[in-house]
Amino acid sequence: MTTVGIPRALLYYQYYPMWKTFFEHLGAEVVVSPPTTRKTLTEGASRVVADTCLPAKVFVGHTVSLVGKCDCIFIPVIRSLKSKTYNCSKFLGLPDMTRAVVPEAPPILEIEIDINRGKRRLYQDIYKLGRHFTWNPLKVKEAATAAWQSLLDYRELMYRRELILPQAMEEITGESQTGLNMILKSQTVPPTTIGLIGHAYLLYDEHINYQLIRRLQQYDATVVTPEMLPGNIIEASVNKLAGKAYWTYEEEVVGAGGHFLESGVDGIIGIMAFGCGPDSLMMDMVHRHATRQKTTPFMCLTLEEHTSETGVITRLEAFMDMIHRRKQKGEAVCV
Amino acid sequence: MKACLGVDVGSVTTKLALLDESDELVSHVYLLTQGRPIDAVQQGLRDIRKQLPQDVDINGVATTGSARYLAGVIVGADLVKNEITTHAVAALHYYPDVQTIIEIGGQDSKLTVVRDGIVIDFAMNTVCAAGTGSFLDHQALRLDMSIQELSQRALTSQTPVRIAGRCTVFAESDMVHKQQMGYRVEDILYGLCQALVRNYLGNVGLGKELEPPIIFQGGVAFNQAIVRAFREELDTEVIVPIHHEVMGAIGAALMAHEEMATNNGISQFKGFEQSEVKYHASSFECKACPNRCEVAEISQDGQTLARWGGRCDMWERVSSTQLYSSEEIK
Ligand code: SF4
Ligand code: SF4
Repeated sequence: MTTVGIPRALLYYQYYPMWKTFFEHLGAEVVVSPPTTRKTLTEGASRVVADTCLPAKVFVGHTVSLVGKCDCIFIPVIRSLKSKTYNCSKFLGLPDMTRAVVPEAPPILEIEIDINRGKRRLYQDIYKLGRHFTWNPLKVKEAATAAWQSLLDYRELMYRRELILPQAMEEITGESQTGLNMILKSQTVPPTTIGLIGHAYLLYDEHINYQLIRRLQQYDATVVTPEMLPGNIIEASVNKLAGKAYWTYEEEVVGAGGHFLESGVDGIIGIMAFGCGPDSLMMDMVHRHATRQKTTPFMCLTLEEHTSETGVITRLEAFMDMIHRRKQKGEAVCV
Repeated sequence: MKACLGVDVGSVTTKLALLDESDELVSHVYLLTQGRPIDAVQQGLRDIRKQLPQDVDINGVATTGSARYLAGVIVGADLVKNEITTHAVAALHYYPDVQTIIEIGGQDSKLTVVRDGIVIDFAMNTVCAAGTGSFLDHQALRLDMSIQELSQRALTSQTPVRIAGRCTVFAESDMVHKQQMGYRVEDILYGLCQALVRNYLGNVGLGKELEPPIIFQGGVAFNQAIVRAFREELDTEVIVPIHHEVMGAIGAALMAHEEMATNNGISQFKGFEQSEVKYHASSFECKACPNRCEVAEISQDGQTLARWGGRCDMWERVSSTQLYSSEEIK
């Protein structure tokens, strides 16, 4: 039986249930690299040029940790999911970059998704991917259909049942998603709702974001993430804020940000990687709208390997204090 | 006398402030941290003790600053608060209508935007030191003068020289260049102050609305030339509170008071005698998982008081009695 390795990085967070279903339907076994640790990060960073963004370094680290544990590594390339939107160039070169910097890696399974080339081409590409496992096109079709269904189920868990991505992932795959155990003392503060914006690979990688979501929950905050918002709503707010979307994952930042500004959360936190071109443009757009609107506090945290944990925590604490004191004051006025 | 104590341990300086029951400042101390926060806190406790009446009764104590957790363990803090919040609380206490708080310390700088008595936005420098006190310290060192002298001489400048001060390295080479071209030292010095202010406004202040009244606090506010540069650059009055250098500690004391009043609690303060206890701070690399965290611990007479710095809470839970069995993963 072939074992397919999947790096726990970048697109993993959004699509893993779909990939797993697909490969398992074709009789393969799937292994995922363990959660990010400092070792993953240093390993990845040591192999690429210094100005590579943090998530890409993490990705390389994860591929390295899969060496020897699988027969091939699956690295899909998502070029475009909607007509005339483009993905960050880092994604487009992933398979080639991996071959270059992780020469010891087993063969890489690729598929390129570009909706601009038409559905027919997409089906052909899926079939080509499936042919590594079977010659029977019907089996590939069946696997693809099941995979698509599990993606829909996964998404529904998030936006209908409001599960945070790792919980939804656990529920659908039955695999534990937590790397660290951290029991946090909860604080006595008024409950708040915090909207998070950013790419899934930043929001849910606890190592690189210093357990952001848990820390927020420790402050009794209800965390709302982009995946919990229905697609049509965030699409509409992208159009409102930015005109037409240009980036493939613009919804996660601009769309969710715009929606949070309108729906009235207590605060919005944006997470981006240092040196990320697309994000700096998108975060800035949300920031400008938040400043203009004046009612919703917004903070953007920039992550890189050298970000000091204390700095991030200080900012987070100050942000939550700001919201709490604001609430207390607001309530005092109402009474 | 009932009082609340605030302790602010930053990377460069350590500040303590004591407020009485009506939140009046009774005494304060300001000393260098010199990379030894524990010693600095103990020395600070000793110094402030000397200034106080015998009957002082500490009702609440809070710590702040980058070493706030460590300081909290030593003094027995009732509250541990980040420095952005404590600085804002102090500024609002003295200037209820403040709209902008500029705070520049030795290693970091912050900007806090306040509207209607509530903090609505803030920013903090990330990696770049060009908008902090260390930028000037560095240049003063190069010119072989004290920071006081630098400030005095810069103040007399009439025609400042523009120094390209985007970062410390560039500023330095540009300064050397300007010296060689024969500009007056005063004008170069003031040019440096202006560069710091521009850096601050361009980094920390980027995209923020700096409305008056503007309060300028933190150690760098001692430097009159920087104050002047801010006034000129912002074209408005910039207020420097009398106790600008201990505002973080004052804010901490105010919050300790608030906390104790609302919760009616009994202070955890360990007493001024703590300044005589021998603490031992150390760190080790945890090998229990690939994260290899650098865990810091503080102990007293072989008893571990606290540990932190791990990515998980394993070390915070391991009590000192379990220490031996866990020796192998250290
Ligand atoms: S979008 Fe930004 S963070 Fe993501 S891969 Fe591209 S450069 Fe890196
Ligand atoms: S402290 Fe926790 S996260 Fe860090 S190395 Fe040890 S076990 Fe791993």
